[in-house]
Amino acid sequence: MTTADIPSGTVTTRSQAGSPQRSRAWNTWVGALVAGLTVGAFCFFWQWTHGLGVTGLSNTVTWGMYIISFMFLVGVSAGGLIVVAGSELVESHRFEQLNRLAVVVSAAAVATAAGSLLPDLGRPQLVWKMLVHPQLSSPLLWDMVVITAYLTIACVDLWLLTRRPVNQVAMRRMAIITLPVAVAVHSVTAWIFGLLVARPFWNSALMAPLFLSSAMVSGTAMIILVAITVRRTTSFSFREDVIERLGRLMLWFIAADAFLLFAEILTTYTSGQPDHLAQLDELLTGKLAPVFWAEILVGVVVPFVIFSRTSWRKRTGLVVTASVLTLVGVFFKRINILLSSLFEPLVGLSPGIPGGRPGQEFTPDAIYIPTWVEWGVLVGMAAFFFSLVTLGVRRIVLTHADD
Amino acid sequence: MSAEGSTTTTTARSAVEALPPKSREYGAIGTTSDEPRWGMAVDTERCIGCWSCAVICKSENDIPLGMWWNRILTEGEGLDQPTVDNGGDMTMGWVPLACQHCDDPPCEKVCPTGATYVGEGKLVMVDQDNCIGCRYCMAACPYGVRVFNWGDAEYAPPAGTGVVPPRPTGSVEKCTMCIHRLAEGVVPSCVWSCPAEARIFGDLDDPNSDIVAKIKARGGKQLLEDKGTHPKVFYLEPRRRRPL
Repeated sequence: MTTADIPSGTVTTRSQAGSPQRSRAWNTWVGALVAGLTVGAFCFFWQWTHGLGVTGLSNTVTWGMYIISFMFLVGVSAGGLIVVAGSELVESHRFEQLNRLAVVVSAAAVATAAGSLLPDLGRPQLVWKMLVHPQLSSPLLWDMVVITAYLTIACVDLWLLTRRPVNQVAMRRMAIITLPVAVAVHSVTAWIFGLLVARPFWNSALMAPLFLSSAMVSGTAMIILVAITVRRTTSFSFREDVIERLGRLMLWFIAADAFLLFAEILTTYTSGQPDHLAQLDELLTGKLAPVFWAEILVGVVVPFVIFSRTSWRKRTGLVVTASVLTLVGVFFKRINILLSSLFEPLVGLSPGIPGGRPGQEFTPDAIYIPTWVEWGVLVGMAAFFFSLVTLGVRRIVLTHADD
Repeated sequence: MSAEGSTTTTTARSAVEALPPKSREYGAIGTTSDEPRWGMAVDTERCIGCWSCAVICKSENDIPLGMWWNRILTEGEGLDQPTVDNGGDMTMGWVPLACQHCDDPPCEKVCPTGATYVGEGKLVMVDQDNCIGCRYCMAACPYGVRVFNWGDAEYAPPAGTGVVPPRPTGSVEKCTMCIHRLAEGVVPSCVWSCPAEARIFGDLDDPNSDIVAKIKARGGKQLLEDKGTHPKVFYLEPRRRRPL
């Protein structure tokens, strides 16, 4: 190596800090994202032209994978809030190095969540009617309002975090706005379900707190995963104890989430209301029992054990496993919340609710099996989320890594 | 079937006008107040579970195959299966079910675009032009009476009957209380067609109407009263049980 090589070597390192190496892994990643987006776009197009009949939905199970993923993604968007606004308000600089990354993940999640409502609509081309004919008593309308507000806040946060030096006063003020809006995002999403008298299992005051706690769990888990992945694949770095401390937070969040779930189930179990109990039985012993008990094992027990020991929280492999399991558990939880109510309509007398398609009569026993179209759109949505994260990490996190 | 709304309205008018005078007279709406609040009473003592009202509803409103606005539920476990009451006697009863046209409709409150609204005669209506197909109303309805247009509709007969305009793919639809017939002073087709005269239609705000008298005399019950939806459909319970 000659002295002339050193400057050019330094330049290469700098540019590598701005963009991940054009390695085989990077190409595979981009290829996978493009493939996922293509699959999703095709399936969405297919569904749009053929009608929602190509999904596994029916007049009994009217909502499915799209709404499940909507709930899940709104939850994931909580991560950025906890890391940035939470630490800001308690004047902790513990997670400062993750600030930009966390907000990128939040913004990507909330944007994808809003996007995942589109394929659920029978007539996506008319979504603008929500703006010109708003019905102010509809929680769905208010959810769109708070989601838009949250996305805007995330974008403003990102802009502030890329200024140099970071305006601390502005960040503090943003944190004060962010927290109530974030609480509103999860609560209003919960109230889409929680305010319906027609669905006893949803119609609970605990719905909003439960959504909030699940959001903390899945949001933090996603931040941990993205942070570890980005650190491994790029020049991005942070202090060693950051993940360990996030893991400690996870312990509290999982415990709170499990506690609220237990309180809800115990109250329902002892309520003696037949309609309410029928929906709970679907979970405990019925069609959804495998998903429910998997949710408890995979989403609560195993991650809690892993995060409970300091030495285990320091082992990346275990932390990644626990975080992935928590995300799976929270996704299962969304499935259980949605389907337990839809499977048991209040007026369930024979012959039941009409199926809705030609040749399809009545469906007294509700089942829901997502079709390839729904899985395809889901793949597309995952690809969309990770594309936004990748873009954000490359353009915002890595280019401003040195301050 | 005709696609334009204006021509279908004309067709609807002529369809009712085409009825023989005796039929029109039979289906004439009785006394009403100035601003009627349309409601229905279903006499479950008279209902024989024949599905006539459900079938005529399908042709009157051109309801696509696989969908029903009105259906006849069987009390107890199975379809058209008798149940054994406490005394050991077998009984059989039906619950004809369509939109309850609630005075406090949960579907209307949650509709993000106001496509579901309380219209003329205090009936709960769906404006298909504003329906974005989010199916929130279907989740909110305690009675499960709304149906969704999952794909391109198929009709029997294939051309449809053309009495009311077709609903677009991706929108929600339900019982309109045959609002196109009410405009002609004729009762909904389910009421008109019931061979047992089990359905009574009228103005709930007119103290002199037949329906108000019947509900008062028989103690009409509403479905899922505890949900606070205040349905405008009342069920008159059998005065005596007739063991099979």
